[in-house]
Amino acid sequence: MIANDKAAETLDSTVVARSSTDAGSIFLRVVTSPQFMVLLVMLLFIAFGATQSAQFLNPATWINILRNAVFIAIVASFTTFVFVSGGLDLSVGSLFAVGGMASAGFLVAGMSIPLAILLGTAAGGAAGLLNGLLINYGNIPPFITTLGMLYAARSLVVYFTGGQPITGLPDAFSDIARANLFGLPMLLYYAAAIVIIAHIVLETTTFGGDVRAIGGNREAASNAGINVKRISTIVYVMSGLSAALAGVLMSARLGSGQPSIGVSFELQVISAVIIGGTSLFGGIGTVWGSLLGSLVLSILTTGLILLRIDPVLQDFVIGVIIVVAVGIDQLRRRRMFRSVGAR
Amino acid sequence: MQLTDPTQSPALELRHVSKAFGHVVALDDVSLRFERGEVSVIVGDNGAGKSTMMKVLSGVYPVDGGDLCIDGIPTRLANPAKAREHGIAAVFQNLALVECLDVAENMYLGRQIRRWGVFADKKAMIDGAADTLTELKVRLPSVRVPVGILSGGQRQGVAIARAVQQNTPIVLLDEPTAALGYRETQQVITIIRQLRDAGKAVVLVSHDLSMVFDVADTIQVMRLGRVQGVRRRSVADRNEIIGLITGAIEADRRAA
Repeated sequence: MIANDKAAETLDSTVVARSSTDAGSIFLRVVTSPQFMVLLVMLLFIAFGATQSAQFLNPATWINILRNAVFIAIVASFTTFVFVSGGLDLSVGSLFAVGGMASAGFLVAGMSIPLAILLGTAAGGAAGLLNGLLINYGNIPPFITTLGMLYAARSLVVYFTGGQPITGLPDAFSDIARANLFGLPMLLYYAAAIVIIAHIVLETTTFGGDVRAIGGNREAASNAGINVKRISTIVYVMSGLSAALAGVLMSARLGSGQPSIGVSFELQVISAVIIGGTSLFGGIGTVWGSLLGSLVLSILTTGLILLRIDPVLQDFVIGVIIVVAVGIDQLRRRRMFRSVGAR
Repeated sequence: MQLTDPTQSPALELRHVSKAFGHVVALDDVSLRFERGEVSVIVGDNGAGKSTMMKVLSGVYPVDGGDLCIDGIPTRLANPAKAREHGIAAVFQNLALVECLDVAENMYLGRQIRRWGVFADKKAMIDGAADTLTELKVRLPSVRVPVGILSGGQRQGVAIARAVQQNTPIVLLDEPTAALGYRETQQVITIIRQLRDAGKAVVLVSHDLSMVFDVADTIQVMRLGRVQGVRRRSVADRNEIIGLITGAIEADRRAA
């Protein structure tokens, strides 16, 4: 009886709760989140790997895995913004090469290291700005615009360098990516800083909220007074900047500018973002999920080698994971929202 | 230039406004006045130009010709943000809410409360949203649930609460009861009366004639992009309004 009275009381009360997070629902939310599934599968994979090869538990292996994840993670953090805003950026692989080659070229031309890094990164930002303007003010779909940029930017890189690597970069430049701090590569610290900043921007700023709003329902966001075109354009600029910065770091790590770096890099980045639970259809996604996705790709690459599985089969595994991840995303949306098929 | 006394002019007025999409004329020389402390209901058949008019009034569409006047002053509303700056809040039939965002985030869509310039003050928005929704007796599990899981009635409640909370002198409501049951409709009618009693100019588009007669002070009938007639509710007759909507009764002589 008492329970019944309480139920009636709750029903009659019209006070709207400020929070829906009791302990049970937090647990349920974590367990049903797409990241939890990925994390679980990865832990099982690592546990299984450890029984097969002692290398799985070697710290050096893990530093290597983390170092390989850095480049994807940096770019995936901002590709997350693009996806959450309802967009798509296929040009990040080419802009990766633009950043790497531009900074190398500027260094060889005698520019100072900070300036070369800045201008190399800015080159990617400029390409991202062009992407954003064409998409938002020229009304050309993101797929077409950034596919065009993928080809055009790569072509210009090869044209300006004659397809040749740029060598003879100063050692001080390479040190940026090769140095260690407290036994860990500096690259990890850069990536950690960038991922954390991206996470904070997406989750706690009004800009991040607007990005999510325009990806969730562009027309509603526009009607509510959000400057949809400006926000979306900024997102493409951020994507271009992050791709080029990652390219600069790659040139530093390699000690030379390689015109062929980043070919099909965009597919790895997009895979990482999708595996991390970010939706292709906008509105839903997290930076930390994309970080997890980047780690998954890196762990698989190294892990399958350690397990002596034919490297040719790596892409098979990644392909299956991507399709499963998107399948789970669709299921989740259908259960979450009443209007089936809608965003 | 003529001096205008804002207390004399209507809160919102269209003067000879026209709007076309290509060859399709959606609004043709429309002149209407919306007064403070009154509920003005716009009725009309499909294609009468009601939705276009709401979008013109809320800054979504610019006008092709004529003037939109706020407090008697011709004003250009370049976009919805500008309209809000001029004191106009709008609730649209669809497309008003973002399903993947929670109720509080939707309540502050496009006008998030800021902290230290760039950060969103989520606590303030959660409190503000919960207070307004509680005050308006909108029934929701929590302001933290995504709008995507709410019923049509709950969504409409959130959309209206958002407009109310902005506390603007002019409130536009496009089919506010379209998705609602009886009880929720009564709730919306109560809110509309509260807005009117607070001295706001309420502009409403509705198909629901019984609700129109329940809540309207003036009824403005549109037909094929033109004003067919304007009636005070106190003297209006249901059959006459239906006649105007269908065109069975001829349009009033058009104002010069």
